[in-house]
Amino acid sequence: MNTVGALSGRGIGKWYRATEPVLKGVDIEIRPGHITALIGPSGAGKTTLIRALSFLDPPNEGEILLDGIAHNFPHASHDRFAPWPSLTVVFQQLFLWPHLSLLQNITLPLINKHDGKRNGEMLAELIDQFEMQEFIHRYPNQVSLGQRQRAALARALVLEPRYILFDEITSALDVEQVASLLGYLEILRERNIGVLLVTHLLNFARRAADHIVFLDNGRTIESGSPTILDNPVSERLKKFLSAVQAAT
Amino acid sequence: MSIIDILLRYRQGLCAGLWVTLRLCAIVWFLGLVFGSLIGLAGAKWRYFVGLPSSGVSFLLSGIPILVLLFWLHYPLQSMLEIVVDPFYTAAAALLLMNIFGVADIVRNAMRDFPDQYVIAARTCGLTSRQTFFRIKLPIILRQIIPPLLTAQVTMLQLTLFASLISVEEIFRVAQEINAQIYRPVEVYSTLAVFFLVVCLPLNGLALFLKHAYTRDLSER
Repeated sequence: MNTVGALSGRGIGKWYRATEPVLKGVDIEIRPGHITALIGPSGAGKTTLIRALSFLDPPNEGEILLDGIAHNFPHASHDRFAPWPSLTVVFQQLFLWPHLSLLQNITLPLINKHDGKRNGEMLAELIDQFEMQEFIHRYPNQVSLGQRQRAALARALVLEPRYILFDEITSALDVEQVASLLGYLEILRERNIGVLLVTHLLNFARRAADHIVFLDNGRTIESGSPTILDNPVSERLKKFLSAVQAAT
Repeated sequence: MSIIDILLRYRQGLCAGLWVTLRLCAIVWFLGLVFGSLIGLAGAKWRYFVGLPSSGVSFLLSGIPILVLLFWLHYPLQSMLEIVVDPFYTAAAALLLMNIFGVADIVRNAMRDFPDQYVIAARTCGLTSRQTFFRIKLPIILRQIIPPLLTAQVTMLQLTLFASLISVEEIFRVAQEINAQIYRPVEVYSTLAVFFLVVCLPLNGLALFLKHAYTRDLSER
């Protein structure tokens, strides 16, 4: 793996009870301008991996390399390491702050970024790019899920992160909203942002991602280009794909 | 004798009664909100050492009618301790006890139910702990607790009437005394009803407005 200018995890292990590890030595790499999709059955450890990679819930063992700087675990000093907002997370439920309008949600994180001119340009560009002019002054409870999602994306992007980790953001979306999301991901790619995307929609993963990682029972079972979804090698991925196919 | 006549003729007595009611309310409201908030905050932070005992006391108090508590503090307790306390302070203590643990419950529940994900979202946006507290957590929690706190304080104002039963010269007792002199129950008690409507309704209306305008459904967690 070329880990300089990338977010990567090596041998990531995570457990809440020592006898039941949730992640067992997972290797993963997210490169700027590339989209990596993380797929797998429920309970595979996808969300735990996102929380570990984003340092929100650091791993118990392994190494996270962020743009070439290694953070080895377990190591107490990394518990306080804060890579945000250069590395940020967009959650399934979005978690826009309910007492603030969408505009305030997007601009609040800018209080720590003291470049008024650049902030203003960035804000105008994002509002324009995500077509939010009409509802930007509304509160999260006054807009649709798709509009909230655009605001959450803009909130993440306004700080110009290098990596964004998406946790199941497709789960509550309809077909049209998923199609729009594909367009937004393209914007992230153009901005040279590295994306890790947890999704249960295989067609979406196939179309959006440059790289697919199949996780099961806390281990990476198979990874590669989206063609692994058409020609899986491992029995477990074959079984998973046929189960998904049977269900849809 | 009309309501206006009663108000004019007994204005001194009514004002004195109102003053006692307001003093009682001021003590119960101020100390109740301060100590209730502190116990509620401590209960949310130290769940086992403060939260559970405070919930226990609150649960116990919910099973005791205010009148029984008031009488128990006024007669048996003082008799057992061989002390005599001014009924005003006994009434204040009984109402304060109710208010402190009621406020503590409201504050503790709001803190406990606050979705951590809003804080995590703030962390991933690079906000500091201080910024997260003052710009995210505090405003959301205040919006959640102010309406129920207002409603609870209106209830406290209404409960001050019970103080009349242990001879506190508050507005209800004054009204009773005036009625005993002139026997005009319709006018006297209508005046009292209007007084409480004028004070309580706007406060309840404000609580309702704040609830609808500012509290949010935080179930998105």
